[in-house]
Amino acid sequence: MKKQKITCKEVSDHICESLGEELDSPRCIAIKKHLNSCPNCQNYFTSIEKTIDFYKKYNLELPKDSHNKLINLLNLSCE
Amino acid sequence: MNEKDLVEKAKKGNKQALAELVKSHEMTVYNFAFKICRNKDQAENIMQETFLSMVKSLHQFDGNSKLSTWLYRIVSNHCLMAYRKMKKHFISFDDEKVSENDNKIGDWSTVPSFAIENQELKDILDNAIGKLSPDYRIVFILRDVNGFSTEETGNITNLSIPAVKSRLYRARTFLRDEINMAFKK
Repeated sequence: MKKQKITCKEVSDHICESLGEELDSPRCIAIKKHLNSCPNCQNYFTSIEKTIDFYKKYNLELPKDSHNKLINLLNLSCE
Repeated sequence: MNEKDLVEKAKKGNKQALAELVKSHEMTVYNFAFKICRNKDQAENIMQETFLSMVKSLHQFDGNSKLSTWLYRIVSNHCLMAYRKMKKHFISFDDEKVSENDNKIGDWSTVPSFAIENQELKDILDNAIGKLSPDYRIVFILRDVNGFSTEETGNITNLSIPAVKSRLYRARTFLRDEINMAFKK
């Protein structure tokens, strides 16, 4: 099987955390067991993780002009 | 000087303390506003509105939460107000048809992690999130992109934990589906 960026353990931990479940709860253990043998679920979480990652990386620098306008608007000085 | 001291001084009218607070949070506020509205001019306006609100209401800030958490709440409210004024129609999730069948999504393990400098990818991301209602965008950005916990996201947005989880699931899946469709073209 091709190596994936995330592991099933990370996926299942994430699910359990999202559900508010303890990692060793019966429900969480059942989820981990299912994930280990379910390519659909693994693919679902790989796709969601990549989606989130795209948006995480998409940042802007605050333009100097926007900073100056803000400081002037608030009647502050920036020394 | 720590933030609590700066806040106390700013409350008493110390402009240098206020300037320090603005400088330390302006980038966060600007980026959060941009991530919700996907427009640089609008993000700049919302940043200005947010800090004007902060100056006006700083005496009400009780210091029980971080200043940044309080600012996120103000930004969220300004973004929502701006969109209400625009009266733009967004995708509705009422019909529960949120996602394509996951079997049709294809294998994402082969999707490359593009460099974000790629303008085509930026356009795809802007277009996808632009279709999503701001109520859902805010939850997605706070929880997934900015890393707040479900509880913190609920506190900032005044939503219950089940409501945060529901919106997050729908937003994630919708964005994934939109990006998936764009990649197929």
